[in-house]
Amino acid sequence: MDAVIIGLSAAGLSCLDALLKFSPQVKVTAISEEKYSPYCRCMLTHYLGRIVREEQMIIKDISACPPNVNLLFGEKVETIDLLKKSLTLSSGKKISYDKLLIATGANAVKPDYYDEKKRTFTLRYMDDARKVEQHIKDSAVVLGGGFVGIKAAYGLLERNVKVEMIVSSPYPLSLVLDEKTARFVEKDMRDAGIVIRTQDDIAEINMKKESVAVSLKSGIEVYSDVVVVGKGVKPRVDVARKSGIKIDLGIMVNEFLETSAEGVYAAGDCCETMDVARKVPWINAIWPVAVEQGYFAALNILGANTPYAGSIGMNSLKTHSFHLISGGVLKEEEGVVLYEKHFPHLKQFRKLAVRDNVPVGMAFYNCPEDAGLYINLIKKGMPLNADPVKIVNGELSIADMLRPF
Amino acid sequence: MKVVVVKPERCVGCLQCRFACSVAHSISGSPYAAPYEAVLSKPRIHIGLTKDKDAFPNKCRHCDPAPCEMACLPKAIFREPSSGMVLINPDRCINCGMCAMACPFGVVRYHVYSSNKTAAHKCDQCIARQKEGRVPACVEVCKVGALLFDDYNKVMDRATDEISSLVYLGIRSKEQEKGPYQSLTAYKHRLEELRRKQA
Repeated sequence: MDAVIIGLSAAGLSCLDALLKFSPQVKVTAISEEKYSPYCRCMLTHYLGRIVREEQMIIKDISACPPNVNLLFGEKVETIDLLKKSLTLSSGKKISYDKLLIATGANAVKPDYYDEKKRTFTLRYMDDARKVEQHIKDSAVVLGGGFVGIKAAYGLLERNVKVEMIVSSPYPLSLVLDEKTARFVEKDMRDAGIVIRTQDDIAEINMKKESVAVSLKSGIEVYSDVVVVGKGVKPRVDVARKSGIKIDLGIMVNEFLETSAEGVYAAGDCCETMDVARKVPWINAIWPVAVEQGYFAALNILGANTPYAGSIGMNSLKTHSFHLISGGVLKEEEGVVLYEKHFPHLKQFRKLAVRDNVPVGMAFYNCPEDAGLYINLIKKGMPLNADPVKIVNGELSIADMLRPF
Repeated sequence: MKVVVVKPERCVGCLQCRFACSVAHSISGSPYAAPYEAVLSKPRIHIGLTKDKDAFPNKCRHCDPAPCEMACLPKAIFREPSSGMVLINPDRCINCGMCAMACPFGVVRYHVYSSNKTAAHKCDQCIARQKEGRVPACVEVCKVGALLFDDYNKVMDRATDEISSLVYLGIRSKEQEKGPYQSLTAYKHRLEELRRKQA
């Protein structure tokens, strides 16, 4: 069997590893657009903060691959012929496949003022991080209050760069957290020395001598060396769309991660799977979910029909002052009851959203010990067998939750 | 493959395993010198209290596939091919907290290692001791048999036999109009009672 993997990041790599683990003789071709060895793109912010060196970011030793694995770097897939089961590369080469995995991932959203000449960069690829590294001296503007923005801000803070953060919503992490929880994060960030300007947006970016002048909509002008944009991601589905695979927002897949075309699978940030907490198809563009989908795609490619149960949006934000773990949907909706408890002396905060006795969302602040348990309960859609009030009070241990009765 | 099997109903919560674990992972390896080391060695087994105030030993299950290994960004968590243990390489760890989010059993903590680096911290099933042919430290000190080091399949076989006999007991007591027991632990207490009466 010839398996072909497009994209060699989280989903592609995990699929490759799983294929080789379960069927060491399978012939695999992996196509990557990048020029470098596979690296972890979540660590780009750590790279900017000089916490890790470039060689530490490499997560796969490509020289150790067995001879039945063919890796093509710096190649782009132009078209996929679904009838002939072959694909054409940018170099003109044709590759035929029996099973294909599309793991093209996502691109960073580029707003209309995005211009690399004006030192405005996103943070998605190694090249982006290098460009930022090239221009940065002692100040930076980070746009967007999502996880990427906050991680970038903390990374830059680590190397003594003055960081100013511009958030268009009233508080950071507005898509994940509710206001009360987000205020804790905001306070911690302000204490760490990040200047946050909420409910503001960039109107115009101009170059003034050696620095970038960012004029905001509120009329303030901010000077900095670079502007880092973290405004979310958009799935890369051009190749799939051209070849006639069904696409909604991302590539549509069934529970076996197979697309509308037979023998073509999709995984990672480009595919739309069921969100367990929201109960609608959703793109959860995060690394652990992509790795998980790659693993399940590999099982299905090998013929071990394993349904993928669905994912939830979850993330962990760990800095030297706090550790926030959030998952699912934490918004006040109809039928959703929110339970919360704040321990000011411990700087702890637990919050749980429950719908019909099934947890759908959580945010644990500075208590990572039992967070994983509730994340997994949300992910599996399991009903609670304990009082949620006791959970947020931290009175229950894992034994109470695992009890069979 | 031999693993540490936990029998929570036997645990009395003496925390000997925690002390032994810290000592086994300290630089000196001696219970007299370990408390005076510059970076204190932290235990990798956790004893939780249930709401009935029963002790519950909780440690890494070395799952396969391991959720923490999948969630790890820098591939610092890896599976050792020879023994099948899930281990952490603290030098690669970037302290991002993803493994604590992924672990369904909540066994990952973040502590300073002796190399003065904060990294993810969890049970390694005493891999250094196993190479010397010794059993893990927590199993060695457990006086009540709550922690066993045995072949997984053998332990499961024994447990299946035990459960079948307990279920039989449950049925018999129902015939005597006592009603079935609420839990496995209750079954086991009943079995113990019967054993004592016979002896």
